[in-house]
Amino acid sequence: MNSPALSLTWHFARRSGRRGAQAQVLAAAAAAISALVLLILLAAWVGAGARADRTAWLTPAPDRNGTAIQALGTTFADGKPIIVVNLAQLPDRPAAPTPPGLSAFPKPGQVYFSPALADLVRRLPANQLADRFPKTSSYGRLGDDALAAPEQLLAVIGRAADDPEVSAAIGGGDAFGLTDRAVISGYSGTTAHPFTANDWVGILLSAGLLVVPVLALAGAAGLLGAARREQRLAALRLAGATPRQILTMTGLEAAAVGAAGAIVGALAYGLLLPALTHLPLGIGTWYASELWVGVPSLLATVLGVALLTAFSAVSALRQVASSPLGVAQESNPRRTGMIRLALFIALVLYVITTAKGDLKPSQVVALLIVFYGAVWVIGPWVVDRLGRVLGRFARRPATLLAARRLSSDPHSAWRTVSGLVLAGFVAGFFSVAQLSSGGFIGVPNQVAVSLPSTEHRPAALRKAADRARALLTGAGLNAVVHTHPGGDLDDESLLFGSTGITVAVAGGPAQIDAAVTALTPLSGSSPPFTDKDLVGGDEIAVAELRTVGLATLAVGFLIAAASAGLTAAASVLDRRRTYARLRLTGTPLRVLNQARVAETVVPLVVLAGGVTAAGVFLATKLNKALGAGIDSAGTLQLAICTLIGAATVFAAIGVSRPLLRAVTDNPVQQPD
Amino acid sequence: MQRKTVTAAGVTDRPPSASSVIAGLGLVKKYGAVTALDGIDVEVEEGASLAIMGPSGSGKSTLLHTLAGIIRPDGGQVLLRGERIDNWGENRLSALRRKRFGFVFQSGQLLPELPAEENVALPLMLEGLSRKEAVTRARRWFAPLGLDGLEQRRPGQLSGGQAQRVAIARALAVEPAVVFADEPTGALDQATGEEVIRLLTSITQMQNAALIMVTHDADVAAHCDRILQVRDGRISSSSRHAGTGTSRLPEPFGASS
Repeated sequence: MNSPALSLTWHFARRSGRRGAQAQVLAAAAAAISALVLLILLAAWVGAGARADRTAWLTPAPDRNGTAIQALGTTFADGKPIIVVNLAQLPDRPAAPTPPGLSAFPKPGQVYFSPALADLVRRLPANQLADRFPKTSSYGRLGDDALAAPEQLLAVIGRAADDPEVSAAIGGGDAFGLTDRAVISGYSGTTAHPFTANDWVGILLSAGLLVVPVLALAGAAGLLGAARREQRLAALRLAGATPRQILTMTGLEAAAVGAAGAIVGALAYGLLLPALTHLPLGIGTWYASELWVGVPSLLATVLGVALLTAFSAVSALRQVASSPLGVAQESNPRRTGMIRLALFIALVLYVITTAKGDLKPSQVVALLIVFYGAVWVIGPWVVDRLGRVLGRFARRPATLLAARRLSSDPHSAWRTVSGLVLAGFVAGFFSVAQLSSGGFIGVPNQVAVSLPSTEHRPAALRKAADRARALLTGAGLNAVVHTHPGGDLDDESLLFGSTGITVAVAGGPAQIDAAVTALTPLSGSSPPFTDKDLVGGDEIAVAELRTVGLATLAVGFLIAAASAGLTAAASVLDRRRTYARLRLTGTPLRVLNQARVAETVVPLVVLAGGVTAAGVFLATKLNKALGAGIDSAGTLQLAICTLIGAATVFAAIGVSRPLLRAVTDNPVQQPD
Repeated sequence: MQRKTVTAAGVTDRPPSASSVIAGLGLVKKYGAVTALDGIDVEVEEGASLAIMGPSGSGKSTLLHTLAGIIRPDGGQVLLRGERIDNWGENRLSALRRKRFGFVFQSGQLLPELPAEENVALPLMLEGLSRKEAVTRARRWFAPLGLDGLEQRRPGQLSGGQAQRVAIARALAVEPAVVFADEPTGALDQATGEEVIRLLTSITQMQNAALIMVTHDADVAAHCDRILQVRDGRISSSSRHAGTGTSRLPEPFGASS
């Protein structure tokens, strides 16, 4: 370590004055937001993994020499999915191990509810839910170890090995795959339950979309106050400092500011952790332990943000190190070359030619990152060209100022708008990434019971129908029972050609729930079901993707607003001397502000529009690759999101208007 | 108390003359306990130039900024062609500075993003001229100021002397009544400074504009008609000087026409 560089860095940092301190605070704020968002993304990733692990016990690996039978199914009540685990000790086998959340293996007739399910059972009339479970004097309570989320609705029922719920067709499911049965020897599963298996896909997409803007914001932290730093270091260079000393000083200062900000971000993450656990995703909210990333990850994030900030600052100052006069005299317009256009075309062609056929989620994320990189390459080039074209046709002073600024330093202008441009991509992506359920319309107000093929004889079917009528009448329900011998595909029936009975129930969801409850004893091997049971899992996945999409948008706009607001404020501070001189010579504040706004609006409209359209394109490709439908209602959502995003960014830029007024008011403060 | 007014013709006991462009009467300005201006009277006539000299902290820049309507005096009056302006609102003062005054600073007044000709044209555009007309009028200043061929250069691509000449062009483009210059040669070497100040004094005189300049440099001040020495917020001396600018006028040009 070069000690003069270190002491000089410390000296300059302390003596940077109020405006210098303001720039450092802005840089630290950018680093703090970056670290916070990175840690939240990491927490979501870690949480999704932890949650998936916590449901893995529900789907243990089958073992023909096991000690118990497990039948796993799902039933719906009050529109919510309830996971039901039936467990039976196999006779003449060693004692089955205790499932998570219980103190002992459940005996036949014992029923355990998760706390949320116990509440639901208490809240709903017994004929809508409680009567689906074996009658018992008291229900047991499942511990947290059995659950992936506090709101998870889970029932564990002890059965005898010969109960139809567990004994039928071991090793396979019923006709609709609503119940999985297996002989097991433990609960060390490796496959997550379907309700949590999709968590990580959504979070991976979200992380893929957000990680570049977040890293860009962290990089911007190293560039905030760059002009002030460049002038100071150019003077040092002219005074004889070596390039290495210049870069060391810059790196040290930026790393210190970045680390300070990242530590604040990490503290904010720690403070926000209890609130983050209340954000619902998929099956519910989170346990704090699931979202805790751990000390090593926390330190790595702080270190990573600090290094990124330092790297960004050092990269920006290479010009000072190599050519002190160049920056001291501001003689080099930071133009962009045609190589960017060529690189952009090459990257986009790669994305277009690759984004077809079956794609794994990780491949989708990789393509997203490539596309982001392409946008990052072309962004400054477009800003440069826009500035030149606008400069040629500008009539008003504010427009001319904005145009010349754009073409003079397109990288800086790009940094201001890049957050929203990439958030626009997120908006475009998720607006059509609302996967539909493959065109299944459903058969509302119908409850179906699939019967074993051995009961397809008309007499057996009639007998089952008579029993169903008796059960429904006993429950006080107004329903019409139909028999389906099977064989003919029937779109009006949930059985779709399978053997069984269907019941058309008059009334609303409560009556449907009551009918399902009433019909539960009809066939122990295959519980009654509704259209919810067939598409409920898909609906959860779609709702989850929508939640992730909205959360990604919200965070994207937060990053965009932070990026635009911070860079706009830093730009005012960097250019305060020029602004003050312009005000002093009579240039209206209004003109200066209009120029600032135009500097953002022009590239924003062009780039955000183009990139949003690209987001729609890529999401459409993704949906096709996944064989899903397109949510056309997303167009309205896209328009609303874009408007909200633009308003947020303008508000963020507007926040620095008082700063502009402050740095230009009283331009002459000293007596002489 | 008898009032003495410094004019281009010397220190007089009379109120500002009818020919004065700008005048300060009994100007007082305090910064807390520090009195920067302590009852200064000053007057400059059309086409005349006044250099304000004095040690650091003497109040010379405060005097310049007060006359220019940038600083509001705590006492006294500022008159422009006989009309009091120190009690105007900020917007009106800002418009006045834009339309009637020109400014030349030590450095940094040019926008680094704009080519030289647009830097000169900007105040004209702010006045409502079309861009084409503003640029056309701006270009007229380049040849007389020795800036031919540098119209498209950015300030960072100009030498210090060239940049100051662009700043002079910008100050004069609006055909101001008064040009205020604050250490206009402070960042230049002696030869370049000499050249710049010669242009500034001669062209303002040809434009019939008053020039008020703050400088530490006696050689620079010598180009002005009068030199005012300020110390502790008061005029310590005032001397008439022949000025050298008019003797070395550049070739005539019709920039103001």
